[in-house]
Amino acid sequence: MSGYDLKLVQTFKYQRPAIDKGYAHQTLYVDLSSLEIAAKPVTPTMKDVFIGGKGFDLWLLWNAVNPTTRWNDPENAVCIACGPLGGTPAYPGSGKSIAATLSPLTGTVIDSNVGGYFGPYLKFSGFDAVEIQGKSEREVIVYVDGIDQTVQVFAATGLPEDAYQLSDVLTGHFAQGKPRNISVVSAGPGAKNTFFGCLNFSWYDPKRQRARYKQAGRGGVGTVFADKGLKALVARWDAGISVETNQPADRERLKKVAKLHSKEIVELDPKQNEMARIGTTHIVTIMNDHDLLPTHNFRFGSHREAPNLGQAVFRKLFDPGYDGCWMGCTVACSHGVRDFTPLTGPYRGRKVFVDGPEYETIAGCGSLLGIFDPHTVIELNFYCDAYGLDTISVGTSTAFAMECFELGLITTAHTGGLQLYFGNRAAALDIVHQMARGESFGRLVGQGVRRMKSIFAEEFGADPRILDDIGMESKGLEFSEYVTKESLAQQGGYGLALKGPQHDEAWLIFLDMVHNLMPTFEKKAEALHWFPMFRTWFSLCGLCKLPWNDIVPEDNKSTAEPAKVMKHVQWYAAYFSSVTGRESAPDDLIRMSEAVYNFQRIFNLRMGLGRREHDTLPYRAVGPVTDLEYESRAERYDKQLTDTHRVDITGKGTAEKVALLRTFREQQYETLKNAVYQRRGWTADGIPTLSTVKRLGIDFPEVVALLKANGVTA
Amino acid sequence: MIRVAGREHPWRTGMTVADLLRETEDAHDCPVVRVNDHYISRPNYETTPIPDEADVFFITMIAGG
Repeated sequence: MSGYDLKLVQTFKYQRPAIDKGYAHQTLYVDLSSLEIAAKPVTPTMKDVFIGGKGFDLWLLWNAVNPTTRWNDPENAVCIACGPLGGTPAYPGSGKSIAATLSPLTGTVIDSNVGGYFGPYLKFSGFDAVEIQGKSEREVIVYVDGIDQTVQVFAATGLPEDAYQLSDVLTGHFAQGKPRNISVVSAGPGAKNTFFGCLNFSWYDPKRQRARYKQAGRGGVGTVFADKGLKALVARWDAGISVETNQPADRERLKKVAKLHSKEIVELDPKQNEMARIGTTHIVTIMNDHDLLPTHNFRFGSHREAPNLGQAVFRKLFDPGYDGCWMGCTVACSHGVRDFTPLTGPYRGRKVFVDGPEYETIAGCGSLLGIFDPHTVIELNFYCDAYGLDTISVGTSTAFAMECFELGLITTAHTGGLQLYFGNRAAALDIVHQMARGESFGRLVGQGVRRMKSIFAEEFGADPRILDDIGMESKGLEFSEYVTKESLAQQGGYGLALKGPQHDEAWLIFLDMVHNLMPTFEKKAEALHWFPMFRTWFSLCGLCKLPWNDIVPEDNKSTAEPAKVMKHVQWYAAYFSSVTGRESAPDDLIRMSEAVYNFQRIFNLRMGLGRREHDTLPYRAVGPVTDLEYESRAERYDKQLTDTHRVDITGKGTAEKVALLRTFREQQYETLKNAVYQRRGWTADGIPTLSTVKRLGIDFPEVVALLKANGVTA
Repeated sequence: MIRVAGREHPWRTGMTVADLLRETEDAHDCPVVRVNDHYISRPNYETTPIPDEADVFFITMIAGG
């Protein structure tokens, strides 16, 4: 492509530090307002307490903002970090970047764990994290060249808007003939015009000779990125990376444990989920069979047409070949569709390569909207990525609008003429194009469920009670794609999640509902302690969560704690020890996470969230809102009322039974919160106690002062 | 004959996934079974036949998504 111009406006030369035991020991600071660029040292406290990755992001962000900072204030920062284990090519799932910022949707911290090469390239270029503050009046590119030891800012004009073309152009521009040396982070037009813009992180696929993409999807990190005037962030590093590049403390131990896990996945993935062939698409029909696949805005958990979106279809559609989003990963689940031809939008009639879809996109942009046509799902996937939109929030927000339309709460007068009923594929695509352009009803949907609820109630006269019951958001973030009505533990997994209802913190549905491993409140609370701690640890270290427990050892079921997959946890402890030289046992991993997890909870408190009242759920996540939902599973609900709650339902109508069940279920959720808070060492109001923060080593003066100001005295 | 997790297992006409699980030790809590390229969930065990020469795998489904 020609016609673009990159004008150099700032240069920062630096001496690249030698990587030592997984750390560069400095972070990169860029202020887009003043064009100040600096390297900041990584302190011993940062390493000891915050470990890296998301932990570093949180610490940098904590020091960048204050309690009144809003998402679009210049002092809000976009932080992206790798982690001490990130960039190891031999160990599966070791190339993750973790992005964090103050979210436009929630007002507090959002974090997103994403593949692609950026995080490792940034670290090997000399920076464990990058922190971008300020705002530029003109669009700029920040370019980190680890080979030339230079950071540059370019004023950019004439570049393509959409992420696909943009990354392609920038990869070519900076590659110097070696495109695999480049990773691009970019948003897109949708990120500018909605509150749930995502970031696309690229890596170059030499076999297909094209840039590929993974998304830091949740919470609007792309919206903040775009609001700063940042067009793209580019890293350049020599792709000739080995286990030596991290300068591990014990190279032989690292090689040994990496080989064990990698070999096991090669052996067992073909016998289990086949993720290297079909990604996460196998989950679609499994969720559908267990009444957990969200359809029609989470009204129901199954649909007869769901197999149209299942792995049997995508097995044929995915382009075969190696699809690791990091070098050498044997899970290699980042599949795509070659030569796809969109029917709408700017790419209509042109063949494109689509990165995805994964389960969440299939459910969010498919079944949740009553759409069971894989072509439409792929097209929605493509445009969401190209426009820089989070497919989960797009799906959940559009589904909410569709249900409001079907209920008559909004009409064509509000939708600009769109017949927004479930299953209307053309309308769903129209909404996404409108979001990208910031036009018409799509602009409103792009503000997310929480803001739509206010607008529909205050401006359109809709009943706020039904909007609250069916609007699938918590803390302002849209739900990811699982039906939780029959799993109290997963209700906690969503409602108590620090960033809002995203499954990466706690995915407990099967352990709770299908395996029945946690029949009591205490056991659920215990699982809501350890599961998020393991998941947090992966984001501290720059790792993917999938190799932990999506592919499990064949003898796992006969171990003492099969739910924790302790064989893998022991491998991870050895992995951490061998890279960092900090000898660690499985329990140590939990303690590392606990410190960061509690710090994030306190960060929420600082930003005005982080109390019991914020750990709420829309009732649809807890039980049937409408008579229709109840009657669709009447046998199940009647049995629960009679057997579990000892209610005589003789002569009771559906509405009365819906109300009774609601009372019981809402009580159960509050009881669960009590048990979880107690297990986590929090007050009854959901705030970490002073003794908890002291035990975890996060009793910094400002933390203690904040807790005391919020009435925590012990 | 079918193969269950790589080991040979006798097959008979009309054999369902549920039948196989009854004949296999320590597989009864398995929520998903893969038969060739098809993922069969527990609610469908009784009604899903296993074809002769099938490759069968037990999926524990601890995590997902």
